[in-house]
Amino acid sequence: MVVAVAAAALVGLLAYGVAKQGPSRSLDAAIEAGRHPPAPNTTRPLPVLDGLATRTATLAHWRGKVVVLNFWASWCDPCAAEAPLLERAQRLLAADGEGTVVGITYKDVSGDSLSEIKRYGLSYPNLRDADGSFAAGFGTDQLPETFVINRRLHVVAISRGQITKLSWLTAAISEAERT
Amino acid sequence: MRRAALLVIVALALVPAGAVAAPRQRTSMTAVLPYVMCVTCGIPLTAAQSPQADAERSYIQQLIDQGDTLPQVKRALVVQYGDAVLALPPASGFDLTVYVVPVVVVVALLALLGVLLPRWRRNMRRAEPASAAVAAPLSAEDSARLDADLARFE
Repeated sequence: MVVAVAAAALVGLLAYGVAKQGPSRSLDAAIEAGRHPPAPNTTRPLPVLDGLATRTATLAHWRGKVVVLNFWASWCDPCAAEAPLLERAQRLLAADGEGTVVGITYKDVSGDSLSEIKRYGLSYPNLRDADGSFAAGFGTDQLPETFVINRRLHVVAISRGQITKLSWLTAAISEAERT
Repeated sequence: MRRAALLVIVALALVPAGAVAAPRQRTSMTAVLPYVMCVTCGIPLTAAQSPQADAERSYIQQLIDQGDTLPQVKRALVVQYGDAVLALPPASGFDLTVYVVPVVVVVALLALLGVLLPRWRRNMRRAEPASAAVAAPLSAEDSARLDADLARFE
């Protein structure tokens, strides 16, 4: 009896450990069902990537604005490829004051991230998710990934992979502005 | 002009040799790698082949080149990548199970042996008279029959 309970506990522990490894796709399922799920981790502070590492910011800081949340890293080639497109989106959003792109660096050395920001002349704010735990809330484990979030901090569109067309981004931003 | 050249020579003479030499390495890539995981692949960095793993190795080399010791390299890696970068996870949260479960399993197995071993020995002792009965000498009748059977094979 004791052996059976111990074996069941070990199997349960193993199952929990394995289940914990996989990325969550609950946001994707909600979007596919036509819903706008609340963005996770909105009050969790992340260090601002400014080379000083003294300030933090939360997603809730941008409540009332449309946020294009982009997870990226300096070692990710597709991230570099879509950076100019995100900068264009940032200029569009900043021009009418409706929102902003927010970059989240994922498991990246801050010095390398800062070099990439300089190289591509990115004008939008970037935060650091050093251990990837913030990204895990979004089910992010591959890069790049982008989440378009409305003014009430609900996710309206997801791109798991490189964004290749500005039209996808502008359509998602328009939807975020409407909702 | 001559005064400027003199000033340069004096300035160079005053610079300590250590200031221009590269810092001495206090650890090596082979010493660091066993302690480090590839944070995106979830496997030891020694075996990982990915752009992120390359970036990690490059950062480690940078730290080694600037003269960091092994503990300093490990601390810098945790600052950049979090605790998951270390091959041995921290003894907190769910990761605590890595340290607790093996101890609990060993203790449970020892306890199980402690209970089962005396019971097994008791059963063995109880079974001994039965086996002794089997080994008891044959009766005269059986002995005679056995002798007769054996005689047929001679």
